[in-house]
Formats: sequence, structure tokens, C-alpha cells
Amino acid sequence: GMSVNQGFNAGWGVAPIDLLQNRHIIPPNPVIEPPKITLQNEYWSSVNCESDIFRCTMTKIPETSGLLQKCRLPLGILIHPFKDLPRLPVVQCNTIVRCRACRTYINPFVHFIDKRRWKCNLCFRSNDVPDEFLFDPKSSTYGDPGRRPELQSATIEFIAPSEYMLRPPQPAAYVFLLDVSWNAVQSGYLKIVCDTLLAHLPDRLPGDSRTLVSFIAFNSALHFFALSPECSRPKLMTVKDVDDVFLPTPDTLLVNLAEIGSCVEDLLTQLPMMFNEPDAGNALGAALQAAHKLLGPIGGRVTVFQTQLPDVGPGALKSREDPNQRAGKDVHNLNPATDFYKKLALDCSAQQICVDLWLLSGQYADLATLSGISKFSGGCIHYIPGFHVTRFPLSGEKLEAELGRYLSRKIGFEAVMRVRCTRGLAVHTFHGNFFVRSTDLLSLPNVNPDAGFGMQVVIEEALTGVQNACFQAAVLYTSSKGERRIRVHTLCLPVSGSLPQLLHSVDQEAVVGLLAKMAVDRTVTASLTDAREAFVNMVVDMLSAFRAAEGGGGMGLTSAPNARLIPVYVLALMKSVAFRVGTSTKLDDRVFSMCQMKASFTSLPLADLILMVYPCLYPVHNMSDEDAIVESDGEIIPQPPRLPLTYERIDSGGVYLMDSGDKLTFYVCRAINPAWILAVFNVHHFSHIQDGAIDLPELDTRESKRVRSFLGHLQAQKFMPATLVVMREDSKDRMDFVHRLVEDKSDCGSSYYEFLQMLKGLVK
Amino acid sequence: MATYQEYIVQNEERDGVRLSWNVWPSSRLEATRLVVPLGVLYTPMKELPELPPLMYDPILCSRSNCRAILNPFCQVDFRARIWVCNFCFQRNTFPPNYAGISEQNQPPELIPQFSTAEYIITRAAALPPIFLFVVDTCVDEEELAALKESLQMSLSLLPPNALIGLITFGNMVQVHELGTDGGLSKSYVFRGTKDLNAKQIQDMLGIGKMAPAGPGMPAPGQPGMMPQMPGPAGAAPQMPGMPPQMGQPPLQRPGMPAQGPPVPPANRFLQPAQRCDAVLTDLLGEMQRDPWPVPQGKRYLRSTGAALAIAVGLLECTYPNAGGRIMLFVGGACSQGPGMVVDDDLRHPIRSHHDIDKDNAKFMKKAIKHYEALANRAARNGHVIDVYSCALDQTGLHEMKSCANFTGGHMVMGDSFNSSLFKQTFRLVFDKDAKNEFKMGFNAQMEVKTSRELKVSGTIGPCISMNVKGSCVSDSEIGVGGTCQWKFCGLTPRTTAAVFFEVVNQHGAPIPQGGRGCIQFITQYQHSSGQKRVRVTTLNRNWADASTQLTHISAGFDQEAAAVLMGRFAAFRAETDDGPDVLRWVDRMLIRLCQKFGEYNKDDPASFRLAENFSLYPQFMFHLRRSQFLQVFNNSPDETSFYRHMLVREDLMQSLIMIQPVLYSYSFNGPPEPVLLDTSSIQADRILLMDTFFQILIFHGETIASWKSQGYQEMPEYESFRQLLQAPIDDAEEILATRFPIPRYIVTEQGGSQARFLLSKVNPSQTHNTMYGYGQEGGSPVLTDDVSLQVFMEHLKKLAVSSS
Ligand SMILES: [Zn+2]
Ligand SMILES: [Zn+2]
Repeated sequence: GMSVNQGFNAGWGVAPIDLLQNRHIIPPNPVIEPPKITLQNEYWSSVNCESDIFRCTMTKIPETSGLLQKCRLPLGILIHPFKDLPRLPVVQCNTIVRCRACRTYINPFVHFIDKRRWKCNLCFRSNDVPDEFLFDPKSSTYGDPGRRPELQSATIEFIAPSEYMLRPPQPAAYVFLLDVSWNAVQSGYLKIVCDTLLAHLPDRLPGDSRTLVSFIAFNSALHFFALSPECSRPKLMTVKDVDDVFLPTPDTLLVNLAEIGSCVEDLLTQLPMMFNEPDAGNALGAALQAAHKLLGPIGGRVTVFQTQLPDVGPGALKSREDPNQRAGKDVHNLNPATDFYKKLALDCSAQQICVDLWLLSGQYADLATLSGISKFSGGCIHYIPGFHVTRFPLSGEKLEAELGRYLSRKIGFEAVMRVRCTRGLAVHTFHGNFFVRSTDLLSLPNVNPDAGFGMQVVIEEALTGVQNACFQAAVLYTSSKGERRIRVHTLCLPVSGSLPQLLHSVDQEAVVGLLAKMAVDRTVTASLTDAREAFVNMVVDMLSAFRAAEGGGGMGLTSAPNARLIPVYVLALMKSVAFRVGTSTKLDDRVFSMCQMKASFTSLPLADLILMVYPCLYPVHNMSDEDAIVESDGEIIPQPPRLPLTYERIDSGGVYLMDSGDKLTFYVCRAINPAWILAVFNVHHFSHIQDGAIDLPELDTRESKRVRSFLGHLQAQKFMPATLVVMREDSKDRMDFVHRLVEDKSDCGSSYYEFLQMLKGLVK
Repeated sequence: MATYQEYIVQNEERDGVRLSWNVWPSSRLEATRLVVPLGVLYTPMKELPELPPLMYDPILCSRSNCRAILNPFCQVDFRARIWVCNFCFQRNTFPPNYAGISEQNQPPELIPQFSTAEYIITRAAALPPIFLFVVDTCVDEEELAALKESLQMSLSLLPPNALIGLITFGNMVQVHELGTDGGLSKSYVFRGTKDLNAKQIQDMLGIGKMAPAGPGMPAPGQPGMMPQMPGPAGAAPQMPGMPPQMGQPPLQRPGMPAQGPPVPPANRFLQPAQRCDAVLTDLLGEMQRDPWPVPQGKRYLRSTGAALAIAVGLLECTYPNAGGRIMLFVGGACSQGPGMVVDDDLRHPIRSHHDIDKDNAKFMKKAIKHYEALANRAARNGHVIDVYSCALDQTGLHEMKSCANFTGGHMVMGDSFNSSLFKQTFRLVFDKDAKNEFKMGFNAQMEVKTSRELKVSGTIGPCISMNVKGSCVSDSEIGVGGTCQWKFCGLTPRTTAAVFFEVVNQHGAPIPQGGRGCIQFITQYQHSSGQKRVRVTTLNRNWADASTQLTHISAGFDQEAAAVLMGRFAAFRAETDDGPDVLRWVDRMLIRLCQKFGEYNKDDPASFRLAENFSLYPQFMFHLRRSQFLQVFNNSPDETSFYRHMLVREDLMQSLIMIQPVLYSYSFNGPPEPVLLDTSSIQADRILLMDTFFQILIFHGETIASWKSQGYQEMPEYESFRQLLQAPIDDAEEILATRFPIPRYIVTEQGGSQARFLLSKVNPSQTHNTMYGYGQEGGSPVLTDDVSLQVFMEHLKKLAVSSS
């Protein structure tokens, strides 16, 4: 009985794990493979949507809501619809084949009744196959519809015929709003932004001969730049009337990049020196209104660089942060102080304008309020706290790196995304930056490859007799070259009526991703305390459900093997900047962390979110060529093991690299061998290592080469280079590192072991 | 003894004054019975080339409520070194630095030729003049190009230290920064629909809160500040400082200096010509038509009112009480925002006199209020507003007139910026005198002092009241009254004020002490060189008892001065009163004057006679009552405003031409001669030259026109005909060269469509009512229902002699 069953389970990798017995739960290999989705036939399994595009919290869908209830697992999907893809089938045809009833796009998981009829996999309606669909573009022959790309790939893109356009596709249009308040000028950010823009204009900015650009600077006034081919030099037009914003001239503010030639270069070269008056004011609200007016007739992207609390004109704010309350248990002011930014964002959204916010701030800027402008207009938020080019060089590096990616990445304009699912299922809560136009339609004035979304799913009707459940996401957008396109992703999951099967079908990373988003909502609508309680309850419920189903018990704390990381991740989440209590946390830092959880803007949203919550820690002082990867060019990349995040594993003579996604912390302990120091830093003593350095010297030593080659390897996997910082054990910033050792007890919470003990006491 | 005529001319040449009465009735009652009020036409900046300026401060009467200035009419006791004030009879001691005076060594101000004296206050800081261009860009390309050319030309005429500013407007208003360097142009943009108050404008331009400027420039907010130090030593006596009353009003320093780098913010917008020449040239080069689209059937959205408000606000807070001119160029009517006079729908024409009469001009009152408020503010700060209006339609001069009228600014009305009328007129603004100095005076204050028996009733001229109630201020007002000081922000050598007086001596009181009454005009102004100057004109006249010496008084009547004074008075009244009421008033005054001074037997019109120095007066009044100043319905409200604007500022000669145009005849029958402004002067073999001040018209009689069309002037044997044709042209050019603004120049002939300009002016001695037939000897008939001068005179005589 039992042992056979256990052996069977172990063989299939489904043996329950006692968490208390397996404290070092983090696998040494940093890459945690997502669980496989197994469908009825091999072909379907092989063409299913990539897990980094479309992912469900469970790899099997419960047949009934009662069954889902018993699993105690959150059901939801995570989608990354516009991810850069190396290979994307693109179809251009007269008629895009869709279900007559529910408008689902034909996909590999439909059922062909015969050659001329197909049955929709979402609503089960029978549809005719049009003649055109029988044509195979590859072989230029008529016959088997199965050879159509639509049926061979779960991700596909259509070039949309004219009926998908309400108006001619818009040109790429970019407005840059530049904070030039005294604070902003002092921070030195303008030069970096202008230089980066100069390096990207005109060719590296997505667009074509119709591309439009505009620049508006603002402090207590708005400064428009009129550019025209006839006029050799830019005209600066200052508008001080920020309470009643207007455009100073009708036709030369938003201009064709190709036509104005060197005028833009002149402007960007002069701009960093142009504003040298001590004007402390910041009229962000007015600047946004101006951008809205300017882009209104066309749509496009607004990129805002902001360095402080806006304090003049519409949308002016007052500081709401009390630095003495940063470590308190109750966190206030996580909701917007005014609905100005949300309302404006909705106006923008209605006119296909997206606002991306770059907050480069050394002081409280009320991101909780400002973020509304991006959240509801489909934008993204970048935040570099403490930004100052000379005082904090790392911040400048980070800006340059992120901005380079931002400017050159793909962009879709005037987009909408619709998510459909098999009859019986329904999406109900959306997470991400967008405006929900109708129940399943998201308005995305812009869509970018780094945007991720989450949706919670309910089972409204039993899926009895249904083998598979499908989700289909379709993004209709205008490319930067002015083409109207539709990108369609279809995810197919088997339906199961078996509770044990379902308990073993959990996708733990997806669960954590969705939990984080749900917790952000909970924090904002209820309180942080509530959200933290909900985390614990969820883990307890899940473990209790597992115990009830598997009948395990006794002294242990058993978990399904593919859910084993959930407790440690949840603990890490509770210690993350977003949800932690007990340690000093700046309000903006917290809000930004919450924004990231809600709508990851980074590539591979889920993986990065996990990395942010539970960073990878590597020992780099004793790397060897063992297990190293040898590149085709002969470069040897060492592969140090990943360590659990606990100080226990930090050797006083070691050096560690912590990869938290956008940041690589190079942590050097005091007792490190001086020879290693010399080999890597080219200095003789620990105290000569420059704390806070942002790069490593290029030395011709084995140690140096290994370290740099490993760093390069990590960077290469990121879409956006992470910033590196050297941190000595005696650094004033040391707590930043220590706080991330989430398995240890700290002022922000118990240790992993204590957490497990507590869970055990709660699991029934 | 010289004749009165010579006396009048002499006084005019020496003092720039013409009086309606040169002998004054000694009682109030008698004075009112003279019908024409006692008035002085005074030209405070009249060019007096013979008058060397005095390089020291004037000496003031020590009585605190008098402060009259020492003048040649004062009694002086040289031994005691005491002078007696001829206004209050205060005995004043001369200051110590006059110790050397004696009968043989008199300071200039005691010499009779110095009844008008000009003092240069050398210890006052010299101020550069300010020129703020406010330019309408809602005009077509050709107009804009022409305007830009004129502006560019004006830059070359300005002195290097003159401060210049540039505001352009269309749908929006742009204030251009001139303190920038090369790389890009900068401007502040305002919405043209918004009525911003002074504080808002200051805040938005970021001015009025910073520290002083660098060397060589008056700091914003500090002009007129006079360092307390003695004048330079020289030939002239050393003078103590002027009493505070004579100084400039207290400083208006807006706000406190702010922290930050010392960028004087006003310098962004107002820069010395020498420093911003290149920037301005670039800006003018780049200046484009208003870029906002104008839909079919619409007018440009033109924000004249907002632009002017910003211009006034800019100067107000940067250079209050310093000489400056706002030069407003408009190519159409303000169609939005404050000061709009018409909306942008082309189906709605701009208001006419008819609309105004029917109370059907819906924007007018509000617009007038807006411009009046601006004009008052500019005037209080000493700033001139010129309005250069060039358009085929009206531009709202009617609403904007106060801008020029209150501040002493120019009002120029033309069809096109590309016309020679505008171009030459604009050039004349920058005309210079023999000393190469602009013929402009800035920020002047004129004060009037009178003998006790006289009080000042008011002034009609391009000025505002300074509301200074002195003891010499009369309760009865004529023109701008209730004050003894007026501000004339802009003066030219021809600017002439009409100042009215009231005799207050009671009937039966003895002839006032000394037998002579005195008036003193004290005008402080900023000379175009930047110097502060004070011009003092003192005049005195004999008193006479009208009950016994009426002939003395009537002999001193100056009918030309009286006609111009009454013309101004009537035009002033016409601005507020009903047209017919004003005409009735003019008639009544004329009849009463004739009753008083005519010689006649009761009820016998044929017996009526007027003395020679009254004889032309009825004719002046006849032409006045049919002039464009009082008859509005053939003109647009803008034209009426323009005509009246000129009448209330020009000197006597020019004003008389406006009232009664002059007509010269050229023919083979003799040398050119003035002829009657009468239809009978229109003859087939004559060329007529008519000067109405506003128009110069050459009219070829029928025969002349016929010869000309046959080309006789081209033939050598008809050289004399060519010369005859040329003679009026040469004479016209002489007038055109100096007249401001340049008149409309018309050449026409018998039957030509433009001949109507002549026909509307001449006395309709032969109307269609009395027409005998066309082409007969005795001239051409005029198609008009006007009464002729003859009929008018007959009526007048009848009424004058009537005993009822
Ligand atoms: Zn369907
Ligand atoms: Zn006195």
C-alpha cells in the first residue's frame, strides 16, 4: 500500500515533502523549471503557449468550483503578451478566421469536425472553414487546414485588415516631459537623458518616416520647444499660466523627426545647460495636461522625468510622509492623495495616450499618487531613489542602462487586449497597468515587451465533460511602422476532477506571482496587516488542504513537492519592501515595490518578480571550472551554486554576489584573503576596496576573469543590464544586504524555521 | 505800439501760447458774458532754438502753498536781494549763491525774453528711453514683411542706450526675451483670452522681485531716483536741491530682492539697443504670421487687448515713472479676450455709428472700459501708448482711443503697413531735431499756477489728471478738471494743451492788484536725451472792467485761438454728448458771441457788422459744425476717433486747417493763391490744392484734366503747362514732408470718383437746390443738403439781432 504508493509518487516526482526536514529548500540550480502541462495528445502539448508568455497558477483546471475550493489554491493566469520573441509566425490574410459566436481566433486547440467545419474550443460552437483557410501559404496548395500556421502555433500575429481600424493607424508619437526644477537640474539627470536620447535618435527609436516627437520642460512653468524645418533654431516658449494650460502654438510642438533634422540635436545638446535659474517649483500636473492636449488628436507615448513632489498648479501635492513612522506596523497614505492623476490617465487612455513615469527622486515624491498617471494609462513606472549623478553614481548608471532599453524596445500603439476563456470559466480581477474598458477588454494605449498582467479566474459553471480549458489573449495594436496587428496567445490546460491530481498541479512561482498582486490590492483596499495575515492564511490553508487530501500527518509539515517553495517565498514576500513592517521603509520605496508586484515591467515578469522577492545568492570567492559552461569562443563561465538566503551560509572570509534582478550586490567580507583582493580589486587591503564602486577593474588574473565572466553571464540573461555595486562588510549600506537574507530572523520578521514552526501550529 | 496781431505772434513765438482773450475781464460775471471762455493754447515743448537752457534748478517761492517759480514779472529788490512772488506776493530772499546779482548782473530767469525758461536738472540721473513694440501677427505675408521692415528700420534710428522690448500677438501673446544668446529664441506665452491683472503678469514674467541690474542701466523699479548731490559747478549759480514737491513721486519698488543669482529679470525683456540689436534682427527675421488656423468664414483670433495689458504690466513693474513708449501695431480688430471689439464670425461686421446710436454694439462698452483702464495705468506710470493701425476695415480705434489720448501717444490710421503713408509716418516718429535728438518728450507733468483772481477749469489735450487739488483749481470744469497738474506721457514739439480758466474776482471788486493777472505753466519732463528738464512759461495780461472798457477786451480777442479752443471744447463734448446737442450748443454760443460783440440795430439783420478780429469766427464755426469732428455719419467710429484725436493735440495752425481746410488755386491767370473754400472756386482751368490736414488733394479742373490726358505736358512747347501741373505737387510734397501723420495724398480731377473729398469740404454755395445748370460760369454745383455759408450767415444775423 503506502510504501508502494510513496515509491510510485517519488518516481513521478510527486512525493510529499516534509518542509521541517528539508530546511534548505532552495535548489542549488538557480533555474526553476515551470511545471509541464500535459495534454491528451503529444502535438497539443508541444504547441502549447510558452510558459514565459502565458501561465496559470495550476497546470490542471478543477472541474468544479467546489473542487477548487477544496484545493485552497488561487486560480489565475499571468500573461506577458508583448514579450520579445525570437520567432513569431506572422499571417497576412483577407479574413482572419474567428468563431462566429464568441469571436475566438482559430487556434491549435480547436476541433475539426471535418475539413469544412471546426468547433470552437471556448464556446463549442460549430463554425465553417472559409476557402481561403484551406490554402497553405508555405506550399501554395489547397487542402489540409492543419498546415495553417494558425493551427501550428499557440502564439501568432495577424496583420489586420482595415475592419480592425477605427481610424488610419497612428504614427509613432513620443512626448518627453522633462523636470527642470532646481532640484532636477542639480541632480544632473538631464545630461544623461539628453545624451541617451541623442544616441537613440532618430534610428534607434521605433518608428518610421512619420515619427513625431516633442519636448516639454517644466518647473513652476511649462517650457515648450517649437521646432520647424523653416526655422534654423529651436524656439523656447514658456507658459507660466499653469492653472489653465494651453498650447502656445498649434503646429511646431509635435514635429516630424525626419523633417526637422539637426534641430532636435541642437536642442538636446543645449537643453542640459538651459535651465539655470533657481526655480524650485514643479508643475507636473500642468505638464501632463499639456502633453495630453498635444497628443490628444493622435495618441502616443508620454515619457515623464520627475524628481520631486509636484507643488504648483493642478495636481499639486503636499508631503504625506512622516519619517518617524517609517518603521511602524500600520502604513498609511498608500492610496492617492487626489484622483487628479487617475482622472487624467483615464482621459489619456481614452485618446490612446500612455504615460510612462520615471521618478528620479532624492526625496518623497508621493508615488502612491503619481503612479496613477501610469497605472491607468497602460504605462510603466521606473524609480531610481536617491538619484544624483555625482553623489550616487550608481543611479546615473542605472538611468542610462534602463533608459537605453526603454527607448529602443518595441512598442505597440493604440492597443487593446481581450482575454477569453472556455465557457464556464471567467476572468474577474485584473492586475497590471491598464484601463478595463469592458469585462474582458483592457485598454492599453501603449503596450511594451516588458509589461506583465495577471487575472484571477473563477469557475462559474462546472466543466463537466470538458477535457480541456483554454485561455486566449489577443492584443490588437499599431506597430511603430504604422501597421495594425493582432497578436494572439492561446493556453490550453487539461481539466481534472481529481483532488490529489489538482493539489499536485500547483505552479508555485505562478501562485506567488498572483498572491503578490492580490496582496497589493488587499493592502490598498484594507490594510497591510490584513494582507500579511492573508499570506499566512493562504499558506496554512494550502498545507491544511494537502494534509486533508493526502492523509499525511504526525510530526511533519508536508507539502506537495511542487508547492514546497511557497512558504519560503511567502516569508520573503512578507519581508519585501512592499509588505514588510518593523524596519524603516520609505513610503515611495514601498509603493514602488508594490507597483512592481502589481505590474512587473521587467522581462520575464514572473521570474524577475521572484528574483526581486527571493534573490539569488552565489559565493564567488572560490569559483572553479567545475561545472563551468564553455562558450563557443572558448570563454569559461563558472557556475557557482546558489545559496539559501541565510547568514549561516556567509563565510567571514567569503565574497558573495546577490542578484536581485535589477541589481547585483558584490558583498565582500572582512576576512577575505588579501591575495584574492589583489587579484580582483588590485588593492592590497580590504580597507582599500572602494565601497559603493560600480564596476570591477579588468585585471589579467584568473580570479578577476572568473568573476567578470560570471557577472557577464548573469547580465547577458537580463534584457536590461543590472547595476553592479561593491559593498564591503563594514559598509553603511550593509543592512540592505542583510535584510535580503530572508531566511534569517531580523527586525522585519521571523526566520524561515520559526515561520515553519508557526505554520505547523496553524495547519489543521 | 505794435498791433494785437503782432503781439499775438510775438507771444506765440516766445512762449508757445495763444489766448482766446488777451485782456481779461476783471469780474466773474463779466467773464461769463464774454461767451467764449478764457483759454490758453499752450505748446509746452515748442521748439525754441533761441532759448539756451539753464543748467541749474529753478528758484521757488517759499510759500508752501504757492511754490511758483521766479520769473521776469517778479519785482526784485536787488539791494535787499529780495524778490516778490507775482502769484502770492510773498517776499522771498534769494539763495546765497545769488549773492552777486544786481541790476546789471541779472540771472537769465529775470530777463523778459525768458518768460519761458528751460532748466536742466543735472543732478537727476539720465534715463534711456524705452520702446516696447507690440506687434500683431494676424496679417498677411506682405503686410508682415512690410511691418518687419519698418521695425528693422526703426532699430537703426534708436539711440544705443534705448531699452527695447518685443511682444508679438495673435491668438496668443508672446513676450520675447532679448537677453538671450544665439542658440535658441525664448519667449513667454500668454493666452489671448485671459484678462490678467498686473500682479499675475508680473508673476508670470518672473519680474518685479529681483535685485538691481548691472552698471550702466537703471535698475528695474528704480528709475527717476535722484541722488542727493549738488549740480555741477559752472557759469550758472549753484542751486540748492529742489523741494520734494518738484521731485519725482516716491519710488515704486515692487517687492523685495529674492535669493538667487543676480539676473535682473526685466533685462530679459528690455535690453539696450546696442546689446540686443542682433537678437532682435533674428527675431524679426523669424517672425511669422500667426500660425493658428483660421477657418473659412472666420476672422483671425486676435488678442490685442491681452497683448496690450501685458505690455502695460511689463513696463509698469519694471520702469514705473520712466519715459517709455508702447508701440502697438494692429492689422485688424481685437476678436477675442479682453478688449475684443468684434467676434471672429465674418458674418458679424464691426460696429458702425449707426449701431452705437441704436445701442447695438455689444462689445463696445466692455472694450472701452478695458482700454481706458490700461490707458490710465500706463499714463500714471508715465508710459506712452502709440496705436499704429493699418487695415482696410476698422480695427477698434474707437475703443482703443483712450490709449493714445490719455498717454500722449500717436494714433495712426492707414490701409496697409506696406503703404507709404504708414512707412513715412512711422519714420517721422523717430524724426530728430537740429541737435540730433528725438522730437519726443517723456513722462511730463504740467502744473498751472494762477493769480488769485483766476482759477483753472481744466485741460483738453492728450493727458490725464494728476488729481492735485490746489488753491487755483476751479469748481467748474472744462475738459479734464479738478486738478492743477496733468500728466502728458508723450510730448512732441507740436503737442498743444488747451487750458481753460475762470475769472473768480467778484463783481464790483476793484481791479486786482498790479493791474495784471498771471499764469505760470511748469512742465517737468524727460528729454529724449534722458535729461530731466523743467520748462517754465509765465505770462501776464491786463485786467479790464468790461462794463466800462469792453472795447479793450474785445480788441484782445484772438479769433483763431478762440475757434480752436471752441473746436476742442466741442469735440470733447461730442465724445459724451448727443451730436445734435453739441451742434445746438455751438450755434448758441456763436449767436451769443455775435449778440455781444456785433454792431447792429435791433431786428435789422442788414445792419449787422463784426469787428475785424471777430469777422472770421462765424466762418470757422460754420466749418466746424459741418466737419468730421461733429458730423459722424459719413465716417466710421474709428475714423471719428482718429480725427478727434488729432484735433485735441495739434497746435493752432494745424488745428485751424482741420477745422477749415485751406484751398489754393493754380492757373495761368497768375501766381498760386489761396481761394475761398467754396464751390465757386472749382473752375475748369484751375488746379486746386486742398489741405484738410488729413488729406492733401490735387484737383484738376475739366480743361486742365483734358489737356493732361492729351499729354500736352510731355511736349516741349507746352513746358509751362508741365510747370503748372508740377507746382501743386511740389507744394504738396512740402506739406507731406513735415505733417504727422502723413496725410492721404489724392490726385483727382473734375468728375473723378475721389473728387468727392473736395466736394464734401467746400462750402455748398451752389447746391442742387439752387442749381442753374451744369458747366456754367461760376463753378460746379455740390450735391448736398447742407446749408451754404451764405444761408448760414443770413440765419445767424437774423438771430443775433433778434430782440426776443
Ligand atoms: Zn466560440
Ligand atoms: Zn508765491
